[in-house]
Formats: sequence, C-alpha cells, structure tokens
Amino acid sequence: MGLVQLFFSYFKDLVGREVTVELKNDLAIRGTLHSVDQYLNIKLENTRVVDQDKYPHMLSVRNCFIRGSVVRYVQLPPEGVDIELLHDATRREARGG
Amino acid sequence: MVVGLRNFTERVGDGAGQPVLNADNGEELMHVESGVAIVLGNHPPESPGTLFISTKQVIWLSDVDRAKGYAVDFLSVSLHAVSRDPEAYSSPCIYTQIETEENDADSEGSDSECDGTLDLSKITEMRLVPSDPSQLETLFEMFCGCAELNPEPNDEEEEEHNWIFSADQMEDDATDLYRPIQDLAVYAKEYFLSIDLYKDPTAENFLNEFNV
Repeated sequence: MGLVQLFFSYFKDLVGREVTVELKNDLAIRGTLHSVDQYLNIKLENTRVVDQDKYPHMLSVRNCFIRGSVVRYVQLPPEGVDIELLHDATRREARGG
Repeated sequence: MVVGLRNFTERVGDGAGQPVLNADNGEELMHVESGVAIVLGNHPPESPGTLFISTKQVIWLSDVDRAKGYAVDFLSVSLHAVSRDPEAYSSPCIYTQIETEENDADSEGSDSECDGTLDLSKITEMRLVPSDPSQLETLFEMFCGCAELNPEPNDEEEEEHNWIFSADQMEDDATDLYRPIQDLAVYAKEYFLSIDLYKDPTAENFLNEFNV
C-alpha cells in the first residue's frame, strides 16, 4: 500500500471532523472534512479562513474544494489521531517502500 | 503548460462562438454558462461574458469584445468555493484561488494596481458571478469534477520514499544504511525506558551514539 493510499485511508476516517488545512501559500482554512479523494484533494464544509487579515475576501464559504497538490499541512484534532498506529504504519511503509 | 491565468483568444468560426479546444489532447467541453461576469483580483467586474468549462481548463470569453478572453488550467486552480457571504463579495459567486509562478516580492492576493494595468500572471483570486445564482452549486460541482480529472502529472508512486525520522538524517548521505540502526536505537531506548535502565549512564552513552 503506497504512502498516498495510507493517508487517503487515514483521512477517510476523519470525515466529519474539524480540521485546519494550511496551503503552500500560507493560507489556513478551518472546516469540517467532507471528503477526500485518492489525490488527497480535500472538500471542506462550513469553512472559515483562520487569518482573516491576510485574506479578507474569502471570509466564510459553505463548501470548499482544495487541490491536494497545494496542501502543506492538515492539522488534525488530537482525539482523531492514534499516534502509535500512524507511527507504526508509516514506519512500516517507509521500510517496505 | 502555463501556470496561472492567461489571455485566451482562439474562438471557433468567425469569432463569435466557442473556444478552440485541444481535441488531440482529449480535451472536451463539459459545461457552458452564459451571463457570467468575471472579476480578476481587485479589478472591476468584466461582463457580459460566457463561461466555458472543459476537462482541462476554465475559459471566459467576452460576449462583446471578441478579442477578449481569459483561461486558467485546472492544474493552476488551488481552490474553489461557492461564496455567498455579502461581506466577502456583493454577489454570490464562485470564488477561486489561482496558483502563480513564485514571486516573493509581490503581496498576496494583489495584482499590479498602481497603474491599473492588468497583469494576468499575478492574479491570484478570480470570481465568476453568474447572473443566475441558482447555478452556483452546479458550477461548483463541475469545478470539482474537472479538478479531479487533473491530478499532478507526476503523482505516481516514487521509487524511493525519502522519509525523514530526525533532523540529523537530513545531512546524512547514507540514510538507507543509517535508518535501520536508528530504528533499533529507538526500540532500544523504549525498552530501556520500560525497564528503567535509561537512567543508567552506560545505557545513555550507548544510545547517545545513535542520536536518540
């Protein structure tokens, strides 16, 4: 199972949770994870911009589609993360890949 | 492939109609929406115009000026959304962010406003305002579908996954050799911790050799 596939499966389990997506252009958007696809494109609902001073025009949008290739980080809710599981899976993946 | 927004002037026939698409590339027209105004960055809206969504790009052609048109590849559309917040923009619209070439000197979201000239390569925000706002959800879904058709070209699995486990690894050329040893040291540390041996200076020295 490739690494992208790993994260795809991981993010699918987070659907419905609040996440913050930080893009490579420094924009950070918070919203409910609606769906994710195999390219790690992300759809968020009830989104709002984290730093409104930088991007005042965006403010709040109901639905948002973010291209996977422009995502820098996805900040996850702590209760949504099983660190040990993720750690083991990625380590296994790195060795096997 | 051009990153960002660009001028688009190739029209079929006598110039009144549809944009010329690259059929050899498999490009197909997915949706046409008339009565759409386009807003580039902070510039005033341009209208009337027609929006053409193909499998590869978004094209807007002016209805009155046959030499005016803009296009952007889906590869350059970083995000898109339905904007209904009147504080963000007076009319409901599709809001998009466009990836541009790296240009650190420029401020985000702005274009050359000082002299009013439109520099397409610097446009990072584009709004498409349909005269029929009930079409917004359809347009949003169309954008989603076409974006999914355009993943990054080199998105295939890489031969090597260059995963970093520690800052030290960044400088180490022999990471492939080092990694199993580092892993072992991490496990050793966990074991020693579990049996309270980590406080033993001997064990600590041993582990320090592996930067654990």
